[in-house]
Amino acid sequence: MNRDDLIKYLLENHPGKIELLDTGKVEPFFALNKEYLLEFCRSIKTDDILAMDFLCNIAAVDTGEKLEVVYSVASAKNRIRFDFKVVMPYEEAEVESVQTVWAGANWHEREIWELFGINVRNHDNLTRFLLPDDWNQGNPMRKNWDAPDFIRMPEL
Amino acid sequence: MTQGLRTEEFLVNMGPHHPSTHGVCRFLLTMDGEVVVKAVPYIGYLHRAIEKICENRTYAQCIPIIDRFEYCTSMSCELAFCLATEKLAGIKVPERAEYLRIIMVELNRIASHLIWFGTTSLDLGAITPFLYGFREREDILDLYEMTCGQRLTYNYIRVGGVSRDIPSDFIPKTKAFLEKFPEKVEDYVRLLNENPIWMVRNQKVGVMSAELALSYGVSGPALRASGVKFDIRRDDPYSIYDRFDFEIPTGTNGDCYDRYLVRLEEMRQSAKIVKQAIEQMPEGEIKTKVPTNFKPPKGEVYSRIENSRGEMGVYIQSAGDSKKPLRLKLRGGSFNQLQVMPEIVKGGKIADLVAVMASMDIIMPEVDR
Amino acid sequence: MGLIKKLPVYLEKFPGGGIVTTSLDYVFSQSQASSLWYLLFGTACCAIELMATGASRYDFDRLGMIFRASPRQSDLIIAAGTITKKMAPRLRLLYDQMAEPRYVIAMGGCTVKGGPFYYDSYAVEKGINHIVPVDVYIPGCPPRPESLLEGCLTLQKKIKKLKIGDWS
Repeated sequence: MNRDDLIKYLLENHPGKIELLDTGKVEPFFALNKEYLLEFCRSIKTDDILAMDFLCNIAAVDTGEKLEVVYSVASAKNRIRFDFKVVMPYEEAEVESVQTVWAGANWHEREIWELFGINVRNHDNLTRFLLPDDWNQGNPMRKNWDAPDFIRMPEL
Repeated sequence: MTQGLRTEEFLVNMGPHHPSTHGVCRFLLTMDGEVVVKAVPYIGYLHRAIEKICENRTYAQCIPIIDRFEYCTSMSCELAFCLATEKLAGIKVPERAEYLRIIMVELNRIASHLIWFGTTSLDLGAITPFLYGFREREDILDLYEMTCGQRLTYNYIRVGGVSRDIPSDFIPKTKAFLEKFPEKVEDYVRLLNENPIWMVRNQKVGVMSAELALSYGVSGPALRASGVKFDIRRDDPYSIYDRFDFEIPTGTNGDCYDRYLVRLEEMRQSAKIVKQAIEQMPEGEIKTKVPTNFKPPKGEVYSRIENSRGEMGVYIQSAGDSKKPLRLKLRGGSFNQLQVMPEIVKGGKIADLVAVMASMDIIMPEVDR
Repeated sequence: MGLIKKLPVYLEKFPGGGIVTTSLDYVFSQSQASSLWYLLFGTACCAIELMATGASRYDFDRLGMIFRASPRQSDLIIAAGTITKKMAPRLRLLYDQMAEPRYVIAMGGCTVKGGPFYYDSYAVEKGINHIVPVDVYIPGCPPRPESLLEGCLTLQKKIKKLKIGDWS
């Protein structure tokens, strides 16, 4: 399935929930409405033509104005790959867990909760993960984070 | 005999410092006698904040930092990052540079599998393969030192090509290495394949089915040993892999022995690719000119390559007007393989946990970043 | 430990006692320096170079050094690799568990002063100097096996100058 067929197929089967972004190179990049996240993930996994059974990556981004969570999915059988993201403002930093669809999402979501402060609903184990157990200095990957012993590299 | 006995479960801490944990990984095991009932991994002992560092470095300055993300296969890390940046900015790489990159990356795959071979046998009690594996690896490191001066973290592959050309000695020495490498692999096969202790410790241990592997995102030799014939070099080709002729070994049972056989065969196939690349390599330039104040356009990209431990992915988002990436996220194969480990060691003995961890080829900086 | 420290004082009271203490110093420090057993403590990239130094081409065993898995059986920690804030208490615990006389080699840039992770990292301990007392620093990222061998020989030179009362 080449790029244009894939875009047409996704836009036809999920009208109103998903739109194509122009920031993706080579593979298509979509923006998804946050309420339909779990339903969309279930449908692309069980769909016969797509069969996206492999979750590559979940990344959270702090762009300075809003938070984004980017999902990259692939299909081992049908050689398809695309990405989609959900955008949210800082006040509503919450997203639904997709671990019932892909079991490998568990640790990715734990990491975005710990480092970015994005709450993940229906996750079974949101506990300390990468940072020391007695860490009390907030979410380090946010852009406005700072600490006394955090030394920034000077501009050359 | 145990019917009248009252037994209790107890906790054992397989601490961050342990000779078999391949880095610093901690397991909290709930044991019933010698049998593992539940295993919970604790990570983060090597979390060095590579992603935060890269947000304050230019694209060229990121490369030495990304080297240290997975130091056993530094060339592959650099290749993944450079492919993502070139995809983002639409830069075309000259032919000779593509061939040089493939040669370096495949030699790195052989070196990494030799480290795996040495440390796996050391964990299970066999010390001779450790010395044999590292002896072969020293020959490959001589080749790297001749080209870029470093043995472990190379800083060689740049955005737009590679940083320097190979010296005149490189090709004769590589050909000499490739001549004698297959008989060394035969040595390893003779040492371990039919060894009864090796077979008992590895067969039917740590069985992972194909559905479990796919749902947890496991990739690389561990996935192929479970029967799924999926290799990114064949199914989602990047660079010039479609010009080479190589096979993809798969296993049937998904146990430790199959993972061992798949990796041994991969070493032979990588040697085949290097031979073909040396014959086909043309003369020419080695790097496209990239401006010093390189500012890629606004966009985001996720690109993935086939590393010796699975899929290595790089996600870059660029704001369009800055020399530094807005967000750089790295994904390593060991992250998902460590996530699936509690499922497959349940019900086995504690010595089997050591065998499974060694055969999954997990190294901790990929997990912790 | 108290008896060993007072031994030279008692011995020197006898005629010819000074010769006995110098010979005892010599024997003890030579035997200590020639068989340092190091703890396998490798966290990051320098651990691979440590393993390569212990393997076929550059051999550690010719200096009398072999690896031990337990801190109770070793007298040298080669701290190879980045130490993060989460790992630092464990390093201190391992150092406390070793029996005296014990030594520490800091291998690689990360243990000297943070290495490439000095700037912009929120989770790295910038040097292990304030966690354990270090005897020899080996710079490099990662240091070549020859550098590591040179560092071990420097440590041996340092040990050979010690007298019995200086151990700790």
